[in-house]
Amino acid sequence: MKVVIGQGSCGIASGAQQTAGEFERYIKEMNIRNVTIEKTGCIGACFLEPIVDIYSAEEELEGRYVNVFPEKVEEIAKAHLICGKTADTYLISKENEEYLNLQKRVVMRNCGQINPESIDDYTKKGGYKAAEKAVKEMQPENIIDEMEASGLRGRGGAGFPVWKKWKATREQESDVKYVICNGDEGDPGAFIDRALLEGDPHNIIEGMIICAYAVGASSGIMYVRAEYPLAVERLEKALKQAEGKGFLGKNIFGSDFSFDITLRIGAGAFVCGEETALIASLEGQQGLPKIRPPYPSKRGYWKKPTNVNNIETLANVPYIIENGGALLASMGTEKSKGTKVFALAGKAKRGGLIEVPMGTTLKEIIFDIAGGIRDGGKFKAAQVGGPSGGCIPEELLHTPVDYESITATGAIIGSGGIIVMDETTCMVDMARYFLDFTAKESCGKCNYCRIGTRRMLEILERITTGTSKDGDIEMLNELAEKVQDGSMCGLGQTAPNPVITTIRYFRNEYKDHIVDRKCTAGVCKFETAQQ
Amino acid sequence: MDKIRVLIDGKECFGSPGQTILEVAKENDIFIPSLCYDKRVEAYGACGICVVEVAGNPKLLKSCSTEIEPDMAVRTNTERIKESRKTNMELLMSDHHGDCKGPCSLNCPAGTDCQGYVGLIANGQFEEAIKLIKEKIPLPGAIGRVCPHPCETNCRRGLVEEPISIAWLKRFAADVDAESGNPFIPECEPDTGKKVAVIGGGPMGLSAAYFLRQKGHAVTVYEQMPYCGGMLRYGIPQYRLPKEEVLDQEVKLIEKTGVEIKVNTRIGRDITFEELKKKYDAVLVAIGAWVSTGTGCKGEDTEGVIGGIDFLQSVINKTPPDLKGKNVAIVGGGNTAMDCCRTAVRLGAKNAYNIYRRTKAEMPADEIEILEGEEEGVIFKNLTNPIEIIPGEEGRVKQIHLQVMELGEPDESGRRKPVPVEGKTETLDVDYVLLAIGQAVNSEGIKNIELTRRKGIAYDPDTYMTSEEGVFAGGDCGNDKISIAVEAMADANKSAEVIDAYLHGEKIKHQMPYVDIRDDFDEEAFEDRERKFRKRMGQMEANKRKGNFKEVVYGYDEEEAIEEAKRCLECGCGNYFTCRLIEYTNLFGASGHARMAGKKNIYDFKDPDYKGEDYNDDHPYVLRDPNKCIHCGLCVRMCNEVMGIGALAFVNRGFDTVVKPALERPLEESGCVSCGNCVSVCPTGALQARVTQRKPIPLEVELVRTTCPYCGVGCQIDLKVRGNQVVGVQPAFGAANEGILCVKGKFAYDFIGHEDRLKTPYIRKRGKLTPVSWDEALDHIAENISKIREESGPDAIAGFSSARVTNEENYLFQKLFRAGIGTNNVDHCARL
Repeated sequence: MKVVIGQGSCGIASGAQQTAGEFERYIKEMNIRNVTIEKTGCIGACFLEPIVDIYSAEEELEGRYVNVFPEKVEEIAKAHLICGKTADTYLISKENEEYLNLQKRVVMRNCGQINPESIDDYTKKGGYKAAEKAVKEMQPENIIDEMEASGLRGRGGAGFPVWKKWKATREQESDVKYVICNGDEGDPGAFIDRALLEGDPHNIIEGMIICAYAVGASSGIMYVRAEYPLAVERLEKALKQAEGKGFLGKNIFGSDFSFDITLRIGAGAFVCGEETALIASLEGQQGLPKIRPPYPSKRGYWKKPTNVNNIETLANVPYIIENGGALLASMGTEKSKGTKVFALAGKAKRGGLIEVPMGTTLKEIIFDIAGGIRDGGKFKAAQVGGPSGGCIPEELLHTPVDYESITATGAIIGSGGIIVMDETTCMVDMARYFLDFTAKESCGKCNYCRIGTRRMLEILERITTGTSKDGDIEMLNELAEKVQDGSMCGLGQTAPNPVITTIRYFRNEYKDHIVDRKCTAGVCKFETAQQ
Repeated sequence: MDKIRVLIDGKECFGSPGQTILEVAKENDIFIPSLCYDKRVEAYGACGICVVEVAGNPKLLKSCSTEIEPDMAVRTNTERIKESRKTNMELLMSDHHGDCKGPCSLNCPAGTDCQGYVGLIANGQFEEAIKLIKEKIPLPGAIGRVCPHPCETNCRRGLVEEPISIAWLKRFAADVDAESGNPFIPECEPDTGKKVAVIGGGPMGLSAAYFLRQKGHAVTVYEQMPYCGGMLRYGIPQYRLPKEEVLDQEVKLIEKTGVEIKVNTRIGRDITFEELKKKYDAVLVAIGAWVSTGTGCKGEDTEGVIGGIDFLQSVINKTPPDLKGKNVAIVGGGNTAMDCCRTAVRLGAKNAYNIYRRTKAEMPADEIEILEGEEEGVIFKNLTNPIEIIPGEEGRVKQIHLQVMELGEPDESGRRKPVPVEGKTETLDVDYVLLAIGQAVNSEGIKNIELTRRKGIAYDPDTYMTSEEGVFAGGDCGNDKISIAVEAMADANKSAEVIDAYLHGEKIKHQMPYVDIRDDFDEEAFEDRERKFRKRMGQMEANKRKGNFKEVVYGYDEEEAIEEAKRCLECGCGNYFTCRLIEYTNLFGASGHARMAGKKNIYDFKDPDYKGEDYNDDHPYVLRDPNKCIHCGLCVRMCNEVMGIGALAFVNRGFDTVVKPALERPLEESGCVSCGNCVSVCPTGALQARVTQRKPIPLEVELVRTTCPYCGVGCQIDLKVRGNQVVGVQPAFGAANEGILCVKGKFAYDFIGHEDRLKTPYIRKRGKLTPVSWDEALDHIAENISKIREESGPDAIAGFSSARVTNEENYLFQKLFRAGIGTNNVDHCARL
């Protein structure tokens, strides 16, 4: 039998290591034989962590126990491991099972299923078969064709067709080309890349191998933020294992294709998630975005053609090559294919990661999968796309999550963060909070972003402290539009989104603050008026 | 390679593949502004000023990085673009912390470049100083003597100890010029064939004539009095402003520019206003305010009551009332009242009483006038107000009855309001009462022009035009704005600009260029300055001066003037005249940036709480002011990409970003090679060349192209020349240097004007170097060289020139040797 304990960062934060320790102690004490303890990554149901799955000798899942805090271990182990009966009280509820069942797993297909620290676990699931197929049986052009057929678009936020990027790099003539995997997931509230790296690192490595082969790169860099130590640790192990198996290095799968991957750690600047800033940071320069063109595909890392893809994008690649692009293309909407992982946070009853086909509505995500608002609260809005995204009010909950539809609301898919808010959230304060983040994270290069976001923040601070002036809303709108227009990179172009959307959908709340010095949500504390 | 055709603002242009819109526009002389582009470094795209619109693309595109595509249709100046640039500049200015110009200049109504001429005097460039003054003030000798100098009132040196004596320095420059025998007269543009009549030869009329004449128009001044000068001549006493010696001389200089002056000609009496309008293309009314007004107290029509300015005028006309041994009451607290008091004393009055309803502290007159009046024996009856002028039996003034006052609550102007002390009065026995209360306009003869409520000439304050097309007005006579002479000169300058445009068929509004001003200075800001009080000017003692009308103050001598001028704190930005930030702010109408006001990113190195770089501003050549930085990154990129040094870098992130030396060390220790290319590319005043040999002065300069003499590379440079001094170097785009220089080329030019430089030839006579004339020296050289050449042939002679000669001098030197002497034995010791 096998006891698998979820030990992604979320599991560990919930006490999964203590839970594992308890199992170990108990099994030893009771001298239970033929039971192994293993770890796995985050399955996405963070609100249920620590999760313990008990498998039969035949690898059948016999019981999924949730919120297994150390004090529950003895009871579960006794019942299941000794008596052979499931400890029903602690099993996952039907309702919560829905949370998982309603999802469609492509990039997270192995997360919570395999031991991320074991390459054998991964290969047993068919891992590295896609890379082998690509390198041994396919021409780079065919791979790019397959990517085109899949309709996959970049998951880093902008949604640029992946095949086009690959093709652009492929077409460059150069002695050296690079593939960079962007794991600088800086949005507060987003933890998709982390979960993928922690839960299935080999999938990313395999995606990179295929990508490198397709674009003609011989060198790869994994750029992971320093705030993800567990991901770094597992990735380091995975890279060693892959090298050991010959999946990385010289003459991969006996071909003349050679490829290696270096792991680099970011230093915590949000803007380094922007590809040109990321490259600058890799070169040892200050992480300032560069004006494009030239795009990295033409002139990137050390001025060589470079393909930069996000982790979730690369996580799709082995699946596409293994199953053919058409399968992925069968999921999603006309223009947005495949699935998308969202990080659900805030006031949702069930928070965590969910993977759904593109085109699923926000209502399905928030109410059917996440179970609506917790503590009996009333839904007010969802901030979609992280601090650079926008808020979507109740009347637009029918919006399907695909690039075009979400953009039309004023939000963005972005990195896939969804923060659910109830009536206790002040929308003006929320806009101020997110702008405070982006203004602080602005690199300071573009005038509009450097000074414009600061001036917007100052206005929002005025409004939320009751010192606003006539015309502040108009000034916010004017600046918002101009900051979007006048900024070079995605940070500045999207920073005003929370402000624009809150004004668009909750203008009355702004007016309450300005005219009546009233905050309906009771969040803003106004300075007492001068007598 | 095939050329790509693009349309920029409808103009067909051709460029090569890979070229950006900005590059193609530049090649085709289409202006696209930018603050961070420089072809020598990689496109940066930070400023966003260079945005353009491309047909079919909904976004604004940065032209510095957008490559041209076939048949692209580019617009560079649409409303959307202008709007974006405007807000962009507003944002930049909202974070700019610096003074464009000094408070002296900004508070001069005429906008005289005070810092400029004070600096020029400090550097001994007196001729340049007067030229600069005369750009705004045609009567500097007069104004230097009588102006109440708001420049000095606002001078920041006052926060250290005392303001700079700006007015006296102006007088000094004017006196030096007048005594030079060849006083400065500005050049006039070619004749335009347009004619302008100016009614009134006072400060306004004369100055307007002077400015209009310079623009090539034929100007005639009609003056009703026998002499020009207006109130300067007839309202200011001789002891403050000598007429023949100073004022008349300056009027003559104006005449010399070609201005025709018709004295003793009154409009409406000698020639009608209608006639003038017919005869001239434009008419300027500058008749001043020559009517003395009273207090309205009883008995003001009594014989012996005289208007202040009428009295002063009578003295100038040598028909003064006989005040000898008489008691005179002068009512009023302004400079005219003081002039009347001190004139009365000089005419032998037994008692000259000044009647003023507040205290001395509230008197609008200059403090020095009050002080000197007191020294001369004027009796100040402060806190009194006339109730009645009482006539004697023969109907002449006998007494003046005064109400005693006290100061009450402050009024709207902030001054405490005088209120009568009930029942308390005083009576003085007087023979004359002079009313120096105020002035009004007599517009008789100027027909069919709309007047103000107080009977002044009404005109549009922006266009200076009256209700009558082609008739303009300004100075004391218009809009009830009776003020000081320099204010009239300001009107003259502004209206001349408008009239000039009008004569060319354009209607414009006068607009002051926007400048940024710092208002955060206090005494503390200058605590580290050495205290150095102003240079006192020599003057006649009170008992020697009170019996005559000789000028009271003597004026500075050269040494005193230079010493005084050196006290200037140099408030105005050294790069004002080349600053693209302020240029674009004005160009894009971003002066209203107050709407973007917010916190500024200020680095106050003097602040003891400042944590950061151990700020060391001792770099010998580079002066830094991060508070004027716009983060264009040109300095950082130039240093890094072109020079390969990396001495400067961005520190911090976002709004707090600041350019600092590497590792926050003093710039000198950061690997900096002092090439100064950062200074050359800085579009603002954030990086400036440090000037040590002379007083640094922001000035417009003439550029003289030459080749750097220091080595054989042949870098092209532009010498910045003002008058006879080289005041800086900027790199030129020569084939060898592409706008780049090294420390020598950029900064080592001071030898040119160095005071130790030999300017006289010397010959060693009996073992001792003795100065000789040029003729003697040249004869000596020619004689000896000829002798050697005859005896030993030309190759026996070799020439070696100093490293510190200009390229042109080197050229002549080698020419002399090769062509004149006939030898190639010639070299230059700084050759690489």
